[in-house]
Amino acid sequence: TSVTVDFRTHVDQSCRYSEEFVNIYYDCMDKKRRNLTRLYLDKATLVWNGNAVSGQDALNEFFESLPSSEFQLQTLDCQPVHEQATQGQTTLLVVTGGTVKFEGNKQRFFNQNFLLTLQTEVQLI
Amino acid sequence: MADGGNYYNEHDDRTAPQFRNRKGKGSNKGRSYDRSRRDRQRGSQSGGFGGPGPRSRLEDTDADVTMSDSSQDNSSQHRFNPYERSFRKGGDGRFERDRRQGKGGGGGRGGGRGGDRGGGGNGGGRSRSGWFKVTIPHGRKYDKKWLLPALQNICSVPFTAVQFYVDQNRVHFYVDESSVATALHKCTHKITDTDGYKVEVHVNPSAPPSFLLADLKPEHLEHLRQCMAKRFDGSQQALDLNNIRTDPDLVSQNIEVVLNRKTNMEAVMKIIEENIPELTGLNLSNNRIHKLDELTNLVTKAPNLKTLNLSHNELKSDRELEKVKGLKLVELWLNRNPLCDLFKDQASYISAVRQKFPRLLKLDGHDLPAPIGFDVETPTIIPPCKGSCFGSDEIKVLILQFLTQYYSIYDSGDRQPLLDAYHDGASLSLTTPYSTQNPSRSSLGEYHKDTRNLKRIKDSTVRFRLLKHTRLNVVAFLNELPKTQHDIASFNVDVNTFTNTLLSFTVSGVFKEVAVDGKSRESTMAFSRVFVTVPAGNSGLCIVNDQLFIRMATTEEIRRAFVAPAPTPSSSPVPTLTAPQQEMLTAFSQKSGMNLEWSQKCLLDNEWDFNKAAQVFTQLKTDGKIPEVAFTK
Repeated sequence: TSVTVDFRTHVDQSCRYSEEFVNIYYDCMDKKRRNLTRLYLDKATLVWNGNAVSGQDALNEFFESLPSSEFQLQTLDCQPVHEQATQGQTTLLVVTGGTVKFEGNKQRFFNQNFLLTLQTEVQLI
Repeated sequence: MADGGNYYNEHDDRTAPQFRNRKGKGSNKGRSYDRSRRDRQRGSQSGGFGGPGPRSRLEDTDADVTMSDSSQDNSSQHRFNPYERSFRKGGDGRFERDRRQGKGGGGGRGGGRGGDRGGGGNGGGRSRSGWFKVTIPHGRKYDKKWLLPALQNICSVPFTAVQFYVDQNRVHFYVDESSVATALHKCTHKITDTDGYKVEVHVNPSAPPSFLLADLKPEHLEHLRQCMAKRFDGSQQALDLNNIRTDPDLVSQNIEVVLNRKTNMEAVMKIIEENIPELTGLNLSNNRIHKLDELTNLVTKAPNLKTLNLSHNELKSDRELEKVKGLKLVELWLNRNPLCDLFKDQASYISAVRQKFPRLLKLDGHDLPAPIGFDVETPTIIPPCKGSCFGSDEIKVLILQFLTQYYSIYDSGDRQPLLDAYHDGASLSLTTPYSTQNPSRSSLGEYHKDTRNLKRIKDSTVRFRLLKHTRLNVVAFLNELPKTQHDIASFNVDVNTFTNTLLSFTVSGVFKEVAVDGKSRESTMAFSRVFVTVPAGNSGLCIVNDQLFIRMATTEEIRRAFVAPAPTPSSSPVPTLTAPQQEMLTAFSQKSGMNLEWSQKCLLDNEWDFNKAAQVFTQLKTDGKIPEVAFTK
């Protein structure tokens, strides 16, 4: 019925959004590192291999200190997050995987996930 | 002998009067080819061999001539008649070029060839090197002890098969006389094998077999080492290997060190690594070097190297420099290499070189303008990997409790009770890495079927279908997945975010697929799972979103996993290996190419008898019975 249709549309849209998002994200990560933090909400937290980084300033510093990267995205999945968890704020769970080569290091596998809150296309991680 | 019979011109002993006029020696086409190339690239007008200045000068000295003369005749390498030998040895440039071309070349490119040098004949034409390669296309199936006598029986000329070897289905060997080549060529289709097929014999001129060319015997290596010691300047920590081939010490011992040969360069590098790792300057000019592959280790083995002279060599592209790009060079010489001509101007040349060696201050003897300030020291250190990140102790307790409960059900064999863990409107999806492997042969096959990868799947209906929605569907799906056993102790948990209404965390770890039907092979996999949960009842969690990523575990992960004995009784205890067993395992894994898990299985199955296990492995491999997963590391 209508609920199902909505859900289906929801899922379709989520997929499209997530595809667009990851393009932007990894493009920034690889080529315009300074712009990356714009994608994060003020109160966002990033956990990177166990290192927790919160707040725009810390995030800025963190991304500056990371060597230049070359990400190769190989898997992408996305789910709309249930509204009960988000109190009505449309949120997406985006999960990525692939390989990354940081300058001075050898290539490794990576897994990453994001919680995107679609207000003004900013994310909360 | 006058220097007409010198080093590079020996094959024209017979035509001694032409010694000065190298042009006149043009009966050897290789020579003219050689000369024109060199002239063009090096701008040298010294006719004849047209090599760079120093070499020509050496050629003209009697001393050099005398030595080379006698050395050639007496060298232990040379077993055949002087004429043939000298012909073959005539100038290593041509020697090497032969090798690159793969054939000694038949036919006259630069005018008629004097006499009957290579023999010519229908054995495939002439061979400048004097060697011919004999190929039996399906020779692999023959016993060498049958094949060679069979050939010798019908061949009109007796021969010795040199460097007999098998290459896929073919068999090759070398012979060094054209009369033999011709005779062997006539033997084709004359022998019938036991299956009734005629044995084909192909004969072609070729470069000499590799074993003759390259390796330095131990006593030669010692001489080389001493020679290098003499050429090492301790006060500067600099080693001068300019034109090492003509070093009197080496030549007098009949040792041929040609640095554009892989094995010779490797030997030199090894001597450097073992004796003078503190090296700061290295001169490799004038050695006909065309590849820098063997120098790559210098980056780690001679890290102080700051000055490198590669001038007067045969480097054809600046890409060769990529192989030594890790060297922190301050001074580099590249002039008189073909690569220099590739650049349209000085600026682009300098730029290309500097890109590889940002610290460079001097190139080809010229000081470089200071680099335009860019930050040479870009970060290369990534933050160390830390363990779980919970954010707070409360949350840690909450999550661990949840996971323990969740996975004890998940691993129990019946996942139905998980219904209580999921929200009515929960969603779940599964992703596996993209693989070109045949799914039926992959241990991930069960999971590949349902992988939801938006990078690969573009159809929105398929995408929708692969998302399991509502807890009934979610749990029904989970129940169909293979039985597992998770190493909870190894779990890593990172809390993504939490609010009053949401707690999202990522769990990663490894699990084993438990063999239910008595099959002995167990696979270890690694997973990364995102749970988005809402608070439930009394200090519990309820899953609203569940995203599971599964891949094969790496060797390292397998090794580290399941260290503590697994809690559930159904699991098999992890055998602890003794030190000798560990060693055997590592060796077996290396030799067979199988990952540790499979190697261990094989060794276990064969009572840790290495040879027996190796035999069994080889047999199974030949029979194609070993799945590809055994080799994924």
